[in-house]
Amino acid sequence: MATVEAVAVRATPQAAVSKRALIRAAEMIGGGLVLLFLLQWFLGYSLTDPDMWAVYQRSFASGTIRTLGYVAIILPVSVILGFAIGWARVSRFRTLAWPATVYVEFFRGVPPLVVVIFASVLGPNLLPERFQSAELGLTLGATAIAFHSAAFQAEIFRAGFQSVSRGQLEAAQAIGMRPMQSMRHVILPQALRLSVPPLSNEFAVLIKDTSLMAIIAGREVFHLTLRVQDTIFREGGDLRWLFGMWTAVAIVYFILTFTVSSVMKLVERRFHARGIEAISV
Amino acid sequence: MIRVEGIHKHFGALHVLRGITFEVSKGEALVIIGPSGSGKSTLLRCINLLVEPDEGKVLIEGAQVNRPDIRPEWVRQQVGMVFQSFNLFTHLSVLENVMLGPVRVKGLQREAATAMAKELLARVGLAAKANAYPAELSGGQQQRVAIARALAVDPKAILFDEPTSALDPEYIREVLDVMAALARSGMTMIVVTHEMGFASSVSQRILFMDAGRIIEEGRPEQIFENPQQDRTRAFVSKILR
Amino acid sequence: MAGTLKDQERKRARAFDMMAGIALTVGAIVVLVEIFVGRSGFDFGWVVDHLPGFLNATQLTFYVTTVAFGAGLGIGFLLGWARTARWIPLDKIVRDREQLREEGTSLVAARIGTIPVILLSMAKYLVRRIGDAYVEIIRGTPLFVQIVFIWSILLVNYPRLEQKELFAGLIALTANTGGYQSEIFRAGLQTVHSGQVEAGRAIGLSRWGAMRHVVLPQALRLIIPPLTNEYIGLLKASSLLIVIGVSELTGYGRNLAFTSFKIFEVFAVVTAIYLLITVPVSKIVQYFEVRYRIPGLGIQQPAEARV
Repeated sequence: MATVEAVAVRATPQAAVSKRALIRAAEMIGGGLVLLFLLQWFLGYSLTDPDMWAVYQRSFASGTIRTLGYVAIILPVSVILGFAIGWARVSRFRTLAWPATVYVEFFRGVPPLVVVIFASVLGPNLLPERFQSAELGLTLGATAIAFHSAAFQAEIFRAGFQSVSRGQLEAAQAIGMRPMQSMRHVILPQALRLSVPPLSNEFAVLIKDTSLMAIIAGREVFHLTLRVQDTIFREGGDLRWLFGMWTAVAIVYFILTFTVSSVMKLVERRFHARGIEAISV
Repeated sequence: MIRVEGIHKHFGALHVLRGITFEVSKGEALVIIGPSGSGKSTLLRCINLLVEPDEGKVLIEGAQVNRPDIRPEWVRQQVGMVFQSFNLFTHLSVLENVMLGPVRVKGLQREAATAMAKELLARVGLAAKANAYPAELSGGQQQRVAIARALAVDPKAILFDEPTSALDPEYIREVLDVMAALARSGMTMIVVTHEMGFASSVSQRILFMDAGRIIEEGRPEQIFENPQQDRTRAFVSKILR
Repeated sequence: MAGTLKDQERKRARAFDMMAGIALTVGAIVVLVEIFVGRSGFDFGWVVDHLPGFLNATQLTFYVTTVAFGAGLGIGFLLGWARTARWIPLDKIVRDREQLREEGTSLVAARIGTIPVILLSMAKYLVRRIGDAYVEIIRGTPLFVQIVFIWSILLVNYPRLEQKELFAGLIALTANTGGYQSEIFRAGLQTVHSGQVEAGRAIGLSRWGAMRHVVLPQALRLIIPPLTNEYIGLLKASSLLIVIGVSELTGYGRNLAFTSFKIFEVFAVVTAIYLLITVPVSKIVQYFEVRYRIPGLGIQQPAEARV
């Protein structure tokens, strides 16, 4: 049964960064470099063109910082909201469950871009005068992204809750735990652990979704790069700079998503109870 | 000490328990046998209120406990349960599994709870596995931990719901030994099982249930060798082969 | 009897629960609509007048989505299949060879030179890695960036091409969905055990027969739900073509909203159209998934959005 695996598990100590992970990272970086080289060779441009950077670097830097800022704010908000809605979804109170379901169906059925655009334009009407500002539209757009991601995260949390087998709840009840206690000490820890891998995916999507802010002039890296692109078109400039810029943008997103995924993997490993997937699914 | 009177339970259109009445005295080890679907698991779950009876009374030490003004959590501290599928908390170590009840439900300090947990694990023969996780244990080991976990909240009685049915044959013995030792130490137990050897050697009384009713009740020798009812006879002959 | 009183209580509580649920949902929607529209009222007439425009744009959305999906199907399948390629690590080849040499076997296999085996293995490795890299890029960068990147390639290299925007959009969407679909195909192919093919052949089926009667029925059940979800996802993703000026539904809606100032009406129509397409399709897929599912067989479906 589980004993053979148990021996195997204990034989290989879990280092924080295993040898295999290092090899994979090396492969990825190496492959990435090869890819960059090939791209530059085929499409005839260079990532390190100083003329391009002279024109682009300010936009690139400020845009990247702004993207980071959006991620830093939207991600936590969406997690809290998504968790709350996911909980509501599995609640036995239809008062909570039905609105939550409608919310999820809505935000999963409509493209996020639509919500962003119309939230930033229609939203200001909702709020009284004193909140109005130039930044309001952007804030509402970012809120729309958070709401959209929260819907998907709600589904992830819901799946996490439902994956914890019923017997766990019964066992918690059998030793005399109150419903809040069994949720806090038994169900929640397991549900959260199960949710971490799919959440990692969703965070990557969220990071990419920040680019949607460009449509409402969000001044993050995608938007600013588009503006530089427009400038190059109007005032003339080496069109091949475009490739360099977009490759740089792609690399930014790569680094962001990779960082977040790696953090999530560390979280997963840190809280991993040996064999949890084997039993609870 | 535990008495049920006129217990009825419906699941939708299914009338699972059709008027169950019996009693278990303090220190007694009662065994319930019967074909699957006869409602044995449901009956056990009615006693510790994991399932609410539609009709009837559950009495512990003379007081009715299936009342809206009595918290089910309190009842479950008095009557523990060991499940067929063990249901150990997968995210906690063995020691933490046993400690969770005393710390969170009874409010014990961690050091005291740790000491008690270690002692209980030693009692079931698993002191060495205190820091292992459930997935690393065999079925028999997991079930013994489950028994220690049930004992940790100091119940007056323990319900066993087919504790060895999910085990590979080589692990059944070790769990039954623990249960027998428990019975000898005077714990009040109600055991639903198919293990006839255990029933004969450990319990003084056996109940045979079928289709939601108690068909027959008696001493092990009588039930196995000289059943009075036809249905009892049919069932016993099938399992004794 | 004690039971019935509690039953009545419970039924009443449940009814209240349901009504509160409906009230909250409907109420929230009504409140929102009132706030936006309250003063001037919802201009139904205007909506009806402009409906043809919307439907036209929706048509373009469908066209783009379907073409990209179809092309992506081919790419996805080939790529997914390629990514199931297993290569043998170099050191293992060497070790196996040495072992064979030691045993002194004169098997034909031992006589196939080491070089071709190494080359084949390297080829598989490259194919696998290139496939992985492609999917990593698709999944690691925003669709926005992919669209603009392709468009700028066309701009630079084919400046006189007509309808560059539409073309670029199609290519970008195809490349994007191809990457995601390859994940689906890969998972589907890997889930149906190779043992199934063996078992099929053991009862007398040919390799193709085993494929047709054993593997394919299982694989189809596995990949059709995620593929349908992918189609829906692509439909929503097509809204991003707005960035290069393609007038699919969202682009049309945005332009119309800004010129006509009937912003809420446009929002309502656009949202309604998307929901009318996506929600029923999802429900149908869910229904068939449950109905035709094989217990114990399934791909972990990501609930992920995609941009």
